[in-house]
Amino acid sequence: MLITQLKSKDTILSLTDGKKVFIINCFGCREVYFPLEEAAELQNEMNESGRVTGILTTDYICNPENLELQLARRQSEIDAADVVLVFSCGVGVQTVAARLEEKTVCACCDTCRLPGFQGVTPLEYDCGQCGECYLNLTGGICPITACSKSLVNGQCGGAKNGKCEVDPNMECGWERIYRRLEKIGRLDAMKCPVQIRNFATDKEV
Amino acid sequence: MKITEKFEQGEFVVTAEVGPPKGCHIENLLEEAKTYLSDITAVNVTDNQSSVMRLGSLATCKALKDEGLTPIFQITCRDRNRIALQSDLLSAAMFGIENLLLLTGDHTKLGDHPQAKPVFDLDSVSLIHTVKQLEAGVDLGGNALVGEPPKFAKGAVVSPCSDSVDAQLAKMERKVRAGADYFQTQAVYEPEKFIRFMEKASQFGKPVQLGIVIPKSAGMAKYMNDNVAGIHVPQEMLDELRADKEKTKAGITGVEIAARIIKECRPYCQGVHIMALGWESKIPALLQQAGLR
Amino acid sequence: MEDYTKYRLKSADELAPILAGTDHLFVIACNKCFKEFTTTEEPDLAEFEKMAAAQGKTITGSTRVDFLCNKTQTVRKLKDMIPEGTEGVCVISCGLGVQTIADLMTENGGSDSRPVPVFAAADSLNYTGHHGMALTKKSCDACAQCYLNITGGICPIVDCSKSLVNGQCGGAKNGKCEVDPDKDCAWEKIYRRLEKQGRLEEFLNQPVQLRDYSKVNFKFVNEYVKSIRENRLDGYYGGVHPLERKEFTEHLALQKFPEPEVVAIPLSMHAGAPANPIVAVGDTVKVGQKIGESAGFISSPVHSPVSGTVIAIETRGHATRGTCPAVVIQSDGKNTLDESVQPHKSLEELTAEEIIDIVREAGIVGMGGAGFPTSVKLKPAKPVDTILLNGCECEPLLTADHRVMLEFADDVVFGLRAIVKTVGAERGLIVIEDNKQDAIELMKEKVAGYDNLDVVVAKTKYPQGAEKMLIKRVLKRQVPSGGLPADVGCVVSNISTTKAISDAIQKGMPLIERVVTVTGERLKNPGNFIVKIGTNTKDLIDYCGGVDSECEITYKAGGPMMGFTLTDLNVPIMKGSNGIIAVDTEHSKEQPCIKCGRCVDVCPMELSPLYFAKYADEENWQAMKEKNVMDCVECRSCEYICSSKIPLVTKIKAGKAAVRGMK
Repeated sequence: MLITQLKSKDTILSLTDGKKVFIINCFGCREVYFPLEEAAELQNEMNESGRVTGILTTDYICNPENLELQLARRQSEIDAADVVLVFSCGVGVQTVAARLEEKTVCACCDTCRLPGFQGVTPLEYDCGQCGECYLNLTGGICPITACSKSLVNGQCGGAKNGKCEVDPNMECGWERIYRRLEKIGRLDAMKCPVQIRNFATDKEV
Repeated sequence: MKITEKFEQGEFVVTAEVGPPKGCHIENLLEEAKTYLSDITAVNVTDNQSSVMRLGSLATCKALKDEGLTPIFQITCRDRNRIALQSDLLSAAMFGIENLLLLTGDHTKLGDHPQAKPVFDLDSVSLIHTVKQLEAGVDLGGNALVGEPPKFAKGAVVSPCSDSVDAQLAKMERKVRAGADYFQTQAVYEPEKFIRFMEKASQFGKPVQLGIVIPKSAGMAKYMNDNVAGIHVPQEMLDELRADKEKTKAGITGVEIAARIIKECRPYCQGVHIMALGWESKIPALLQQAGLR
Repeated sequence: MEDYTKYRLKSADELAPILAGTDHLFVIACNKCFKEFTTTEEPDLAEFEKMAAAQGKTITGSTRVDFLCNKTQTVRKLKDMIPEGTEGVCVISCGLGVQTIADLMTENGGSDSRPVPVFAAADSLNYTGHHGMALTKKSCDACAQCYLNITGGICPIVDCSKSLVNGQCGGAKNGKCEVDPDKDCAWEKIYRRLEKQGRLEEFLNQPVQLRDYSKVNFKFVNEYVKSIRENRLDGYYGGVHPLERKEFTEHLALQKFPEPEVVAIPLSMHAGAPANPIVAVGDTVKVGQKIGESAGFISSPVHSPVSGTVIAIETRGHATRGTCPAVVIQSDGKNTLDESVQPHKSLEELTAEEIIDIVREAGIVGMGGAGFPTSVKLKPAKPVDTILLNGCECEPLLTADHRVMLEFADDVVFGLRAIVKTVGAERGLIVIEDNKQDAIELMKEKVAGYDNLDVVVAKTKYPQGAEKMLIKRVLKRQVPSGGLPADVGCVVSNISTTKAISDAIQKGMPLIERVVTVTGERLKNPGNFIVKIGTNTKDLIDYCGGVDSECEITYKAGGPMMGFTLTDLNVPIMKGSNGIIAVDTEHSKEQPCIKCGRCVDVCPMELSPLYFAKYADEENWQAMKEKNVMDCVECRSCEYICSSKIPLVTKIKAGKAAVRGMK
């Protein structure tokens, strides 16, 4: 489950550049995010130029079996196109590209991380899946996500009025942690040994 | 010479800071340093300050050293991972640069390359720890260094007038535990806050240098109030800067204010660190007025 | 299927110092997500308990929770669960779950009492790249600057160990990555793919790519996510926002549907016992004449919508029950009114009992689809203070109630006043979703003269029209499990039903016609029609110009969410037929549940639909009952959102039928 943003119109048009196109829209993460209206507007425009061989609007194209069911029914329209434009997250584009290996398959969206993806409901960006949970040292506030710099040994000193130097609307994660530790009487956690992150992925550990 | 030796001798240590240029010509910087900074203990060289890309800190340190000054190599975690950081530390040792100021660094988004990948593989605390490891002849990966290990004076920073002094002290303690030898502070404009901070910070037994930025104008002071972490210029100082525009423009007011702060705080700290931000020429006058010369 | 379990238990050695001095522990374990769903228990809790026992700890209690990061549900599940004397709460989950609990415990700790400390007993697993909603391999790192267009659709960020964007590093040996000899060099794969597509020249001409790390903007995403959460939790938990597609018909004025030649009146268009026919083949009947008598307390009479001759009483097709006995009448085209159709006394003169009799005799039942006899609803067993008139019409495509509000506003207000009077309520509220501004304005104008009537505007969300959701949204009252609106002091009535009450009182006309929206993206000329009950559905479709013949069409009686699929269009329009739709047939294949949790996230009744699917397959009806399957309102939100295309509602209906049979 990921969030998508439409690429610029110029970028998308440069991908098609007079070619015949087949369009696939994925609404799989509906209720989460898809630039629905912008995409529809752009597609209508393309459709008027007569270069669109077909538009398939479906969901969860990242599921190869269900994608197959949809694509099989539209094969002739796909064959008639030079380029397949996919409006979905990067996973969807790659699923289509793998299925239509001989076709030029293009992504019309950029994909952004959806916080909480690793959980279930979209939530604020609360866990960076660092693989070495620091929550026991921080009173249950994640320093990887609550701090712009993902520092694990305390604040950088850049906060002004308790707000992060990068984003004045964001509270300094380490000040939050300090207050939390104070509240739960665990300031001794600040006396823990120096923390050094391990950036190897889980597979490598 | 390590700056820590001066602290040990009980000297009130004066340092100042220079920022390398955006370009590869360093003649002007050296000239200024020689003219105005030759009689102070050491000169900090900033590391791509405010995330703005400039000539390297290490190279500038080497050039200053060649001119007979004592450089303090500022090193941040923003642009280098632990391999590059350790490598640069060894390079510094090879050049005979013995003083370090170890920082986390501003975020890349604040500078002139906001698209850059912010590294922050290590942070100030773990960087201090890393230096200590190197001094023990072992790198962070646990591998032995060949030959005599390097020895540094490990500096760190603290922000005594920050909104949350308790959190600052906690972080300072972490730095002390990690191995910091001395501290330089963020610019101070509120001596009473600084003094209160020092009452608590003195428990760590590490020398602290009072941070000074000479206020150039009321506008600059206001800007710092609005944007710079841990700095608050009180209203009466703003009024003072506004009172006589000409005097302020000539730098006289700023130097007066700075000198006053130094005098007031001197009994509570072990030195002063001056961030002149282009007004290096005012440093001799400031030291004189503050009674340090 | 890939397994995306998000955590791994920390080791005993790591936990020992963390838990030193904390001897009485409560343990919360998350049941994991994004892995194949089974009903067997995850082993981590037992392992932890063993570990804790070995370290001399006392476990004060433990629980397993689904989707621990789902805060709304977690708060409810954990309420009053943590016993006195607990010194620490250990959470076995990914970082999201731990933080949910840590926040919860901190929020609960008052100023005098210190919050119980929360410990993470697991590490979140670290991997680069994300899978889609299906459990595919990790294939997208959400870099916010998609490179797939220049790489033939292979992601260089995830597939290349160094995430290089300008070509291979040269470190590959025999086509394998220098970091992992089991992994193909991504750039070699990209090169082969482009070669195959004849796009190498295009690749060589690409400008140098520079990554822009400032694009990964959590601020934008966090703000966006916050807004969706607010939407999702607005008014009541869960719900979805399907495409409304009401623009086909919302602006179209009601048309009288041409007089049918033959009508088939099913004897069952309501909840409860079918009506008993009181006419015989060959009898002549008139408009409004009763032709079927109510057969019990929960039942309803039926009336003839035409004048003519009864030509058959036989089993006919039925939109929701397959077949049903029906009275078939050949119209004489004259529409002669039955003598019984006479206006009643004024509302002021009528007593509550008289109104209830009128409503019962007029055969009025809930016209939103459920068909519960309205006369029974008007005699609630408990005191009622508020009548909610349901003008939400949250079903996509349908606009029947919307048009009734616009064109029969006075009748609707009259009907509402009648209900308020009958039930003895203090006030009547007309609840309209914010996508019907014209109806909101008109209704506000119409109720302006009545102190006890008002219009409430509700932000659009499906299934707002469901009674329990509507009550929660407007009155913030929670109908208890298995309970009725009257249990919380209110009665909910449908718009068309209310209009029918007005007709019954003011004209003496029983329920013989209704407004039907005939629509769908594949229907040629959609519209809103006043249709006589018993009219053949196929005639409606034909009248609207039929459908696009090239497409595979699904017909439904009702809306796309809760409507019944029609396999045969030769079924009569009934009292509850608010719409007939013609939409594209969906082709999908049921996949195994991957525990994505989206059904739990959207279920407005706060149930766990994924268990219903599993238990229905296992025919474990007892377990289904324990998971409160009977509370399901069959709104289909879960099925709509299901990433594995599981026909959840079918399975739930089977479960409900079985549970009913258990009694």
